[in-house]
Amino acid sequence: MKRTIGATTVALLVSLCAVAAANAEDEKSLTIWWAQWDPAAGLQELSLDFTAETGVAVDVHQIPWGSYQDQVFLEYGNETTAFDIVVGDSQWIGRGATKGLYLELTDWIAGAIDLDGIHPLAKRYLMEYPTGSGKIWAAPCETDALGFVYRKDWFDDTQEQAAFLARYGRRLAPPDTWEQFRDIAEFFYRPASKRYGAALLSGRGYDSITMGFQPFLWAFGGDWGDSETFAVKGHLDTPAAAEGLRFMIELLEFSAPGGTNADYGAVLNAFTNGSTAMALNYFPFFPGIVSAMGDKVGFFVVPGHDGTRAISLGGQGLSISTKISASQQALAKRYIAWFEQMSVQQKWITYPGAFTANKELLDSAAFRDAYPFNDTFARSLDHLRDFWNVPVYNELLAVNSRVLGQALDGSKTPQAALERLAMEHEMILRGAGLGAR
Amino acid sequence: MAERDGGAELGDHWLKVGFVAPALLLLLCVNIFPLFYSFWLSFTDADLIGSDGVHWVGTRNYGFLFVDPRFAEALRTTALFVAGAVSAQLLLGYGLALCLRDRFRGKAALLTLLLLPMMMPPAVMGVFWKLILDGSYGVLNHGLAVIGFGQPQWTTDPGLKLLCLLIVDVWMWTPFMFLISSASLNAIPGYIYEAAAIDRASRWRVFRRITLPMSAPLVGLALLLRSTDALKQFDLVMAVTGPNDGATQTVSALLYQVMFRDGKVGMASAYSYVVLVVVIALASVFLRYLNSLRRPVAGAAS
Repeated sequence: MKRTIGATTVALLVSLCAVAAANAEDEKSLTIWWAQWDPAAGLQELSLDFTAETGVAVDVHQIPWGSYQDQVFLEYGNETTAFDIVVGDSQWIGRGATKGLYLELTDWIAGAIDLDGIHPLAKRYLMEYPTGSGKIWAAPCETDALGFVYRKDWFDDTQEQAAFLARYGRRLAPPDTWEQFRDIAEFFYRPASKRYGAALLSGRGYDSITMGFQPFLWAFGGDWGDSETFAVKGHLDTPAAAEGLRFMIELLEFSAPGGTNADYGAVLNAFTNGSTAMALNYFPFFPGIVSAMGDKVGFFVVPGHDGTRAISLGGQGLSISTKISASQQALAKRYIAWFEQMSVQQKWITYPGAFTANKELLDSAAFRDAYPFNDTFARSLDHLRDFWNVPVYNELLAVNSRVLGQALDGSKTPQAALERLAMEHEMILRGAGLGAR
Repeated sequence: MAERDGGAELGDHWLKVGFVAPALLLLLCVNIFPLFYSFWLSFTDADLIGSDGVHWVGTRNYGFLFVDPRFAEALRTTALFVAGAVSAQLLLGYGLALCLRDRFRGKAALLTLLLLPMMMPPAVMGVFWKLILDGSYGVLNHGLAVIGFGQPQWTTDPGLKLLCLLIVDVWMWTPFMFLISSASLNAIPGYIYEAAAIDRASRWRVFRRITLPMSAPLVGLALLLRSTDALKQFDLVMAVTGPNDGATQTVSALLYQVMFRDGKVGMASAYSYVVLVVVIALASVFLRYLNSLRRPVAGAAS
């Protein structure tokens, strides 16, 4: 009797273990980490289709923007990561590639997705490291750019139009150059009635001030440096670059109080509280503005100067963690290949704030008509440029916040600030073994 | 009998070891080991997420410290913060203690209210104050607008940012100075004042010759505690202006930036050790000064 009970118990335990193992095999899942915003919510919803097709559950774990970068890289300090895929900022790619955090996708991706169908600048900045090398570490997820949102109702007001025409001798319309932009900002700057001209990115956290300054730097003839030699002096500290910074500082005079230290959220607030005529921000933030302000708002491409227009790239790519099992990496590749399909991308762009790098879709009427800002977004893409994406990008960003901040606060002249910045950037790049020591 | 005594002595010895050992072990694990480990790390290129190992770099990290402009600026900001915050807390706390020295109706309730700010977690208070001081939506600016004042940009104006942090820190920690000052004033024996009254000493003379010197050692200790605490200021900076704002970047905020944002563990360790040496040096000087204060008072008392 005892023997029978023992044998039955063992048999039961064995079958329970077998069932549990079979369930574990069946219950495959993927975890994606991304920042907390509309596109991430869209990706979670879109991924239900992947689950329906494959049975693989997908969890898009959203982390507030303020701590996103810290949490991702702290997680990479562990032996294994809690995420399989990370939707990493474009600047992270050098760190991810050189520190062994991102799985190299070069050989696999050519056969898995249509690389020719991806916008070349998205491929250059969101997928490759070193830039232009052809070595691929990410697939485009959210292609993004800076753009302007403006008060269409103020621009369309006949009294405002007449007053503008009388003062500046031309029609009040979305500007094409920074000089035209300056006039409009000055025109709407009426602090007595709490109305302000423009809100620009100038905050000191993460990359706000850098992204806000870049369009001026590039349009006025400066640059962050030589991407081959990593020389910074002679590019960033030129009189042309200083003129770009001086012009930006001049524009900030037409912003609301606190406008010289405004991050992404503050710029959004300045616009949505109804006090500002024009605001610079990334396109995925615009659906919220449209739903709050409706047809009172319009959109325009970041202006240029002397025929040069350059726009800060935003956006993130899907990268696979090296610190997960081979089977999870295979599953992650399957997800990326699925996500980049034309039919999935067609659905992806229907979610608020979700943008594609797919050239065919970007050119399609379906995309341009889907949201009021999509046409402006598509026209912005050809002018995209990005900040350094080297492993020490974060140190460079931190110096920018500090030194450019001093220029915006008036404690350094634009020329002195850029000379200091060039010196510190070269020191950081040399310290990281980039360029001649 | 002798054997039993010997056995008892041995038993007592091991009993003591048994009682002390867990605490010592814990201290070794969470304090002493990290101290020495981070000292070793400060001579390496250890990276938070590095995959290519840890390499000995000698004194390179310490050398870089002297050419890193951030470090000098952070030291200057920290010094300003410590000097401003601690002196304001001392003046206000000691002043309040003097004013509230006598018994009066409702004193207990008032003291409880006064002590509330220091009971709150600094990070939570930082977030609250950030909301209060917000240039556009803050309660403070709303109040100022109602009475016809301007709209200072407390947390973004470069001239006001550090002042903001000082105000919040003073608000939080003045109660601590007040508490210690009150205790030190209450500890002065009444008969000394009675003797001074018999000698017809003026109030100023009583304060200068009795109150101040006799309360100085305890208040000095509070000053030392507050100074070392203010030197480590991090929570408020993080909550109000962020760790990378040049105008408010204290040494601790810079350490966070170097360690967690740049991922440079070796360099952050080197920075920490320099700060540790500065703190120890300051504390030693201060303790010597406090001891020198104590001697004449002790002499006077005897």
